[in-house]
Amino acid sequence: MAGFRFGGCKGGPVSRSGLYFYHFCRLFLGGLFLYAGVVKASDVTVFARDVANYQLLPYAWNYLVAATFPYVEAVAGLLLVLNFRVRPAALLLALLTLLFMVALASVVARGMDIDCGCFNPGQGHTSAALALLRDVGILVLALLTLRLRSRMLS
Amino acid sequence: MKAMTRRIWYEAGIIFALGVVLGLAVNIQMVIDAFAGRLTSEQPAVTADGKGTDPAGEETGLGIYPVPVLLDEVRELLKTGAVLIDARAVEVYDAGHLPQAVSLPAENLYELLADFVEQVPIDTTLIVYCSGFGCPDSENVAEGLLDEGYTDVRVYEGGFPEWRDSGLAVAKGAP
Repeated sequence: MAGFRFGGCKGGPVSRSGLYFYHFCRLFLGGLFLYAGVVKASDVTVFARDVANYQLLPYAWNYLVAATFPYVEAVAGLLLVLNFRVRPAALLLALLTLLFMVALASVVARGMDIDCGCFNPGQGHTSAALALLRDVGILVLALLTLRLRSRMLS
Repeated sequence: MKAMTRRIWYEAGIIFALGVVLGLAVNIQMVIDAFAGRLTSEQPAVTADGKGTDPAGEETGLGIYPVPVLLDEVRELLKTGAVLIDARAVEVYDAGHLPQAVSLPAENLYELLADFVEQVPIDTTLIVYCSGFGCPDSENVAEGLLDEGYTDVRVYEGGFPEWRDSGLAVAKGAP
């Protein structure tokens, strides 16, 4: 039996549970990155230090990343929360998460136990290994959001 | 389908660019100064009394962060006259510290800073350490030193544990 067709959705029918799950993924992911982006944007210098701790970029580039990436996260997160341009926003966040995972993997491989700087930069300590595990979950969430939205529109 | 996929990638690029533009609009001066080398230890000029004119970018409102350094870099910097600073509590310092390190505990920082500034020139390279990765004391002391006008402040994240575990000499008591 086909699922419910909800008004305003183009394309094929989606079950009620599928629709709820989609909105949960979208709102959770969007809220997470919106929060993370705002927190990091509020103190760029501290975030630049956290980026520098990865020992991957030249000095000035740490500032460039710290000055721009939080805004990218916040904009993409906001789009998800508003349910606008969900697929490109989810794709972008998946790519960013993948990038963070590569950086974290390099830290773990080099035996450095730094704070990941993911949320609340400069405060507390989330190990790179733990952050890597967490990012796997975030990546899955982003891909799920992308996939569910694509199914709704197909 | 291919056209739709291309469109999604294109829009993702647009969102990325929008975020970058927004970030640059807010922080453009900091980024320009970073690439121009104005947020490093090569400036500001030191005045006759030994104090910088714009300590840690205070007048410009820009932030200079303590630069993280690894063990090999610490050893190289020490050869060029850098000063080691131990940010741990005095009792811990006395039990064992890096050779020639000066005790400047984070818990008493602001009581001791005035004397430290009198004795150590403002253009000295400082390397702050504490109990290893995750220990916030070295960062706190480093930022306090930046606030006082020092512009070349490094943080040795590996700290005392890494130095000791590398088999390097350890000193006890006052230097």
